[in-house]
Amino acid sequence: MVLEKKSSIRVAEAGQRRVLDEATRQRRLNRQLDALEKDNFQDDPLSSLPPSGPAARLPAFSEGDEPGKKKRKTRGDHFKQRFRKNFQTLLEEENLSEREEPNYLSAAASPSSLPPRVFCSVCGFPSPYTCCSCGGRYCSTRCLQTHRETRCLKMTL
Amino acid sequence: MTTLVLDNGAYSAKIGYSHDKVSIIQNCQFRSKTSRLKTFTANQLDEIKDRSGLFYILPFQKGYLVNWDVQRKVWDHLFGKDMFKVDFADTSVVITEPYFNFTSIQESMNEILFEEYQFQAALRINAGSLSAHRYFHENSQELCCIVVDSGFSFTHIVPYCRGKKMKDGICRINVGGKLLTNHLKEIISYRQLHVMDETHVINQVKEDVCYVSQDFYKDMDIAQLKGEDNTVMRDYVLPDFSSIKKGFCKPREEMIFTGKYKSGEQILRLTNERFAVPEMLFHPSDIGIQEMGIPEALVHSINNMPEEMQPHFYKNIVLTGGNTLFPGFRDRVYKQIRSLAPNDFQVSVVLPPNPISYPWEGGKLLAENPDFDEMVVTREDYEENGHFICEEKFDI
Repeated sequence: MVLEKKSSIRVAEAGQRRVLDEATRQRRLNRQLDALEKDNFQDDPLSSLPPSGPAARLPAFSEGDEPGKKKRKTRGDHFKQRFRKNFQTLLEEENLSEREEPNYLSAAASPSSLPPRVFCSVCGFPSPYTCCSCGGRYCSTRCLQTHRETRCLKMTL
Repeated sequence: MTTLVLDNGAYSAKIGYSHDKVSIIQNCQFRSKTSRLKTFTANQLDEIKDRSGLFYILPFQKGYLVNWDVQRKVWDHLFGKDMFKVDFADTSVVITEPYFNFTSIQESMNEILFEEYQFQAALRINAGSLSAHRYFHENSQELCCIVVDSGFSFTHIVPYCRGKKMKDGICRINVGGKLLTNHLKEIISYRQLHVMDETHVINQVKEDVCYVSQDFYKDMDIAQLKGEDNTVMRDYVLPDFSSIKKGFCKPREEMIFTGKYKSGEQILRLTNERFAVPEMLFHPSDIGIQEMGIPEALVHSINNMPEEMQPHFYKNIVLTGGNTLFPGFRDRVYKQIRSLAPNDFQVSVVLPPNPISYPWEGGKLLAENPDFDEMVVTREDYEENGHFICEEKFDI
């Protein structure tokens, strides 16, 4: 007897959906992790107001803030430049990857030997299922629905 | 001659004279929605009544000092007449820096301390070295200790042997209080109420309700229960900054498990968020950071040390930094280390009574130490030899 193979609706549905490749998933994850490093989510309340002068954004170091302190001689531009570098520039400048001794890069904790644990991206409880489009996790059809409506393939965090 | 000890953290500065007590002051500037033109520095935060939507201006990025103009403003305020009234001509300074601080930051630091502020002498040191100093001072029979410093920007694990920092064992986990607060902000915003702009409020929520689970999956099961069986669930009353100045947890007997509260307060209902957030310190991979958690990194770091020292590290684990204040933190570290360490090794995990100011207290002891004068660089030394002498003497 030959059984007619019944195709799953879910499989058929999945075939039509856009599936993100590994690189895109990694990019999304990196963007999420970068967002966790942000100091503020909102814009600076002052940013809508114009700066108070052309030099407002420069560090005003030897401006004689302290009363009674004599004004120090002005330094060259290189000095001012040094105070304007961000973390990434400083890290690149140090050229650590070529150093032998322990340094900032070598001190980073290596990946865990334990298997990763997985949690529902909606409710945060342990989740057995993976969304086939974006690789996000979910624990129930209810959470899957919320996930599809709000996060999956959407650029929101 | 007086000595000012300044543990210059990325979130809070722990500052005080060596003959006096410590003050913990926010090391940043703020802007508020209500007075947009004014920038508040450090403890001027107290002047802001409505702390919703507080905007932070931080001197540190990823744990390293990069925004010098902000740092200068905070220091001017701390050293100035409103606070510590520092007489620079008669004061030495002990100041902390992160591990592996970049050369250019170290040089800027020398210039600012000696040329701008004109301190008479300075000692630049890692906060962990001060903690170790304090630990060895109290436990003089011990030869080694391993310091876990879990702060705002990251968590460091650093072994010390006879007061010497073992650079090969230093391990950094890129999870700190900032990341935990931001993560909590994000999951609350997704699940119930948009709070992305409320870093200050949510940080308070984190400090008030989060804890470290002793049995993660069991707590997960409890957190899923309905009604009164759910002993993990808390209702947090958010501040409105008029009648409620500070958020708080609703007492359990006042909690309404089904239906809504009649009082018009804004409530956050927290279940698994309470322990899933601090859990990232133990499993950074939960949010996709491919790094070891604290217990695993501790064992990894100890295994990098010479074999004869290893038992000494296991029985001298010291926890410092704000994250160690989560209830259950010490017990969880102990439990996991005990199961990972060789059976015949004694394991002891110490959480000092005040883990935030522990390094500062070490700095205070160090400043009173007879060898202190040998360790500092004086302004004459610096003027004579420049950065070279600082590089020689300071072990950053």
